[in-house]
Amino acid sequence: MSQTLKKLRYKYWPDHIFGEILQKPWMETAVPLIVLIFTIVFFSAQIDNFISANNLSDNFRQAAELGFVVLGISLVLIVGGIDLSVASIFALCNLLVLYCMHVWQMPLIGAVSVTLLLGAALGAINGILIGYFRMRAFLTTMVTLIVFKAIHDLLNVKVAVAISSNFPDSPAWDRMGYGAILSIPTVVWAFGILAIFTHIFLTRLRYGWWLLAVGGNRRSAYNTGLPVNRIVALSYVASGVLTAASAIFYAARLASPGADTGKGLEITVLTAAILGGIRLGGGKGSVMKAILGTLIILLITNGLLRMATPAGTSRIILATILLLAATLDIRWFKNRHKAVQELYVSPALLELPGLSKDATSPDSDYAPNERLHDVEIIGLGQVEAPEDVVLDEDDNLYCGSRHGDIIRFFAPDYKRHEVYARIGGQPLGMTFDAEYNLYVCVGGMGLYRVTRDRKVELVTDETNRHFLSIIDDSRLRLADDLDILPDGRILFSEATVRYEMHEWPTDALEGRGNGRIIMYDPKQNKTTTVLRNLIFPNGIVVASDKQSILFAESWNCTIKRYWFEGPKKGKVEMVIPNLPGYPDNINRASDGNYWLAIMGMRSQVFDLSMRKPGFRRRMSKQLPGDEWLAPNINIGCIVKFNEAGEILDVLWDRQGINHPMITSMREHKGYLYIGGITNNRIGRLKLDDADETYVSSGKYHVG
Amino acid sequence: MKLFTKAAMTAVTLLSFAIGGSAVAQQSINDPARDALYASLKDRSVVFVPVFMGLDLTEGWSKMMARQAEKLGYKYEVRNSNFNTAAGAQTITSLISEKPDVLVVQNPDVQSYARLLKRAEDAGIHVLQLNMKTNILTTGFVGADVVEIGETQANAVVNHCTGEGKSGKVLILAGPPTSPFSAYMLHGYENVLNGNDKIQVVSVQSTGAYESAKAKSITQVVLQQHPDLCGILGVWDNTDIGTAAALAEAGKTNDVFVSTSGGGGELSCKGIRENLWQHYVSYDVPGQARDLNDLILAALQDKNEVGSTKTILYTPLIEFTADNVDQQSCWTLESIK
Amino acid sequence: MLNLLRGRKLDQQIIVLILFILIFLSFAVFLPGFISAGNILTLVRSVSVLGILGLGMAIVVIGRGIDLSMIATLAVPAAWVMTLAGAGYPPVLAILAGLAFAIATGVLNGVLVAYAEIPALFATLAVGIGIAGIGQSGLFEYDIVAWPPALDSISWIGRGVILGIPYSILAFLAAALVVHIFLKKTRMGFFIYALGDNLLAARITGVRVRPIIILQYVMASVIALFAGLVLAASSANMDTRIFNLTWIYDVILVVVLGGIGLSGGRGGVWNVIIGTLLIGTIINGMTIMNVSFEGQNLVRGMVLLAALMTDSILNPRNEETAKQGDI
Repeated sequence: MSQTLKKLRYKYWPDHIFGEILQKPWMETAVPLIVLIFTIVFFSAQIDNFISANNLSDNFRQAAELGFVVLGISLVLIVGGIDLSVASIFALCNLLVLYCMHVWQMPLIGAVSVTLLLGAALGAINGILIGYFRMRAFLTTMVTLIVFKAIHDLLNVKVAVAISSNFPDSPAWDRMGYGAILSIPTVVWAFGILAIFTHIFLTRLRYGWWLLAVGGNRRSAYNTGLPVNRIVALSYVASGVLTAASAIFYAARLASPGADTGKGLEITVLTAAILGGIRLGGGKGSVMKAILGTLIILLITNGLLRMATPAGTSRIILATILLLAATLDIRWFKNRHKAVQELYVSPALLELPGLSKDATSPDSDYAPNERLHDVEIIGLGQVEAPEDVVLDEDDNLYCGSRHGDIIRFFAPDYKRHEVYARIGGQPLGMTFDAEYNLYVCVGGMGLYRVTRDRKVELVTDETNRHFLSIIDDSRLRLADDLDILPDGRILFSEATVRYEMHEWPTDALEGRGNGRIIMYDPKQNKTTTVLRNLIFPNGIVVASDKQSILFAESWNCTIKRYWFEGPKKGKVEMVIPNLPGYPDNINRASDGNYWLAIMGMRSQVFDLSMRKPGFRRRMSKQLPGDEWLAPNINIGCIVKFNEAGEILDVLWDRQGINHPMITSMREHKGYLYIGGITNNRIGRLKLDDADETYVSSGKYHVG
Repeated sequence: MKLFTKAAMTAVTLLSFAIGGSAVAQQSINDPARDALYASLKDRSVVFVPVFMGLDLTEGWSKMMARQAEKLGYKYEVRNSNFNTAAGAQTITSLISEKPDVLVVQNPDVQSYARLLKRAEDAGIHVLQLNMKTNILTTGFVGADVVEIGETQANAVVNHCTGEGKSGKVLILAGPPTSPFSAYMLHGYENVLNGNDKIQVVSVQSTGAYESAKAKSITQVVLQQHPDLCGILGVWDNTDIGTAAALAEAGKTNDVFVSTSGGGGELSCKGIRENLWQHYVSYDVPGQARDLNDLILAALQDKNEVGSTKTILYTPLIEFTADNVDQQSCWTLESIK
Repeated sequence: MLNLLRGRKLDQQIIVLILFILIFLSFAVFLPGFISAGNILTLVRSVSVLGILGLGMAIVVIGRGIDLSMIATLAVPAAWVMTLAGAGYPPVLAILAGLAFAIATGVLNGVLVAYAEIPALFATLAVGIGIAGIGQSGLFEYDIVAWPPALDSISWIGRGVILGIPYSILAFLAAALVVHIFLKKTRMGFFIYALGDNLLAARITGVRVRPIIILQYVMASVIALFAGLVLAASSANMDTRIFNLTWIYDVILVVVLGGIGLSGGRGGVWNVIIGTLLIGTIINGMTIMNVSFEGQNLVRGMVLLAALMTDSILNPRNEETAKQGDI
């Protein structure tokens, strides 16, 4: 009973999504979002009609106006500065646009552009002083705040009467102030468009990244050759322009050249930005944070005003909320990655059947022998981590290396070698197509092709994203092994979507169906995921009917067969259910059977722990990563099997001297070439009864 | 509320007596207007949007408005913008959609709320402006004629400083340069002083946001330059406490004539008695509040289109001097009954 | 004077000193009535409260913080002392209550900065709003509190004159002396420099930095209360609305102008005095010239800007040595 419950729990309860959600970058914004929701819930309970169309429209109108300035100061904060002068820039721009409209009766476009220019100019003063003269942002903008304010006051006295005794006759101007499109205020539209643009700018465009880079680490940005001074200066110009935009909408709404226009604005916008989670000191911030902060501060102040809260009480409430929100946000910021670490690993229930007999006993199908003891060694110490090996039509040998290169050993003696191509990521499974282009699965990068003239080309690094996926599974994280169909389509396995290549032991510990099989169709240049939720799918080989593949699920210790077309399309059948070790690559043998590499042997301790997910979860939370259990991959073997799942032959290196672990093998002209990801050599074994013309890859097979 | 129910009950009882027992000798007749009036006031709402609370002016106005509301059974609420014009604008904006019957607004200046107040009236809310009016007139305005305050103050200084042996040197301590209230008052000063040859205005300085510390230091500096200063014109009583402190420290309390103005609260009489200032122009907060209450009632009963009548009530000013201070009653919050 | 300058780097402090001397001399030459003992005393007296606040701010800034709540702490606890004394409580009790209030504010600031790790700029801003709110919501009858006769026994701290020198100047000097001794002669003072210069290094060497951060905010608050009492005694009332003004910026400028860098660990009492004198001279001269309020602000702003600019041109910050996160 409890076992059934346990099974159900681990089958349906999505443990993994909590860590995945927590790990999303937008989770940084969780605290402001929660604060905002609380604010809305609180005030709608306290105030009638708080969520009425009228009130929302009023609030959004003001929020959008304020939002422009918050966005501006956010850009400055992201670069690592601060702009206190926005309050005075706001006041001056308000005065100018009103004077243009009311007194000079300028056309709207003219008035708006002149005002935006003024904003840019005032921002540029800050920018030049701070960016080029390297003055301190806080002090400089504090002084310009005072200076601009003094100029405003001098002018205000002179022009206020003229402004308020004339009224412009401009319907467009009135629409800016009070109009709405589709019952959404004009200013909200304007702000929305700007916000989307700024979001794209910050997250997708080079110049936005420059801002973040300068804010994140000014020194490094400078050393990488970014024009730090210019970037800093321009951020203040942007802040000035955005403040001017805000002032224009404010002016259109209130038409007020009031003397204390903008008073205290610098405090309000700074508060909004910090409440949204934008950090003083730079490098962190997003448009969403600016918007959330703006909404929070506006809803709180408006809500308190509407509740007719006495001024003192509102200030106390405001201060308390500010401090609580900031404390929470800072705690969250500091501790989120710890929480991610604890929550991300989410072990699943994996019940491997026990082995009927000890694999090492003489009467087992896998009875050990020493046939790999005397293999010929190729490239000893010249190659590191050849996960897979493949040979071309001239018998030259290709293998990957940990350094991100493809190494070629020259036939016939394989004494000489060269770097065939530099990939940049670790090559895993490799194979040739009919034209002897080399296709390579590259860990962390995707599927690549090295053409005959050694050009490295990206084939695919993304597939369709699953609609329920939380982590972005459209990018290929760990493409592992591949095979090519006669028509050129490529099937390859991606071992896991939750971990990077070097984290494979953690994926083993999880024992969850994190992997998938993907098909790339060169005719349509389309990549689609064909099979999901596989437990570390690894080796892959096209079966004899060319309508199905055989693939290995490493931590599940099985070989399965999957039909991607034909009458059994979509079916998955078990071929070998209960291997004594963890299967890796599969390749064809000259006699129509298949070679399978077993990279390590199962142990009872690890099998037992796979049946106890709770134990593994406690382990992952309480112990440092290097003390976690990991599958044994110290010794392995090569197995020959047929499509019926019968074990035909086994090759061992019991002492583990030549091949402590084996991840692949390839039969070529009567020899078996052996690779291993932790080895510093390639093995070559003469096969006694093999077809000496057989070539497992390239034209021979594909054609 | 209770009072109202009681009154209504009594009225009903009396009415039934009147119909049923018309034979009774001594007839009692109910005022036919009052029931209708009280009924019409029920559940109406008045909202006050002051620039600030916590000072005698606004607290005095608000207390009297609240008392009348309580008595007559309509709702009264204060939404304090706390020296923040933007917050005030937000408040009025949301009030326009909340639609109270009467909106009483203390303007921070001539322009800031002008457009909003017009929108409020267009939306059918009676808007009464208090103390400072915008250049758009609404249903009503209650406040002092600020230019007249200035003229009254300046006349007093002229009277004192053009006498025998007086230097005629005058210091003007204005409010914020951008405040119309202060600008109007300066205009009043100029109206009187500019035409007078014997008067020399040695300095016109702003006390910032009516800061008494600033008034004090300006006075000290000017006293250094002009030890024979004769008169000081101050804009507001609370600020001029600083002015008086500077004079007291310099030992010039009896040499320099200080005229200031304010709402006539307890500070005004105290200042005269303690010789902080010798002349005080009061714009009589309780009187203003009474005017305001009248306009509120009128607005609540107004059946015409909002804004069809516009009433301006300038407050009669009262001058306090050492001679008449004992006959004046300076109000306190407690004295407003 | 020039001897003093010889061999010294032209840093902010020296630049401001030269600027001060230039302005002072030109006023003395061109402005009749400027260079009189009476006017000089008036000059210093008018900025003594600013100077006292600057001393408090200096302690925090040297410890690489900032205290924006100082104006609220100047206004509210001092006004509370006056209200309590006016309501008949013994003056000593009233002052102790105000002191407790100020210390509590400082501790709150310190805890928020040191333990909750909220940036000082934001934490003290919010605390300032909160303190102003507490003041507004019922500690006093009106926002402007009059100096009660019950406190007349201490009103000399802001009003009186001894040997021709106003007490408020003496109050400034006394505060300067105390802060100077604290910063330069006590262990705690050294620690504040240490953690302002490099917090992590100070922590590694075994300084318990968090309690010291709290201490620096407490000192700033207590000094603010003292400044508040001087101000109230001087102008015979306390207008708690000064919280709404931009006074705090003046305080920061006085500190920074004198050469106490916002990145902490540098400067001392002299810097505050020089900064204060510069501001005082400008204001005094322009008041004598009857320059308008806005004109004064404009000129003052330009002079400050010139001072900051000269410093950054003569001592440019370099990308390699700039501290990350300095604003």
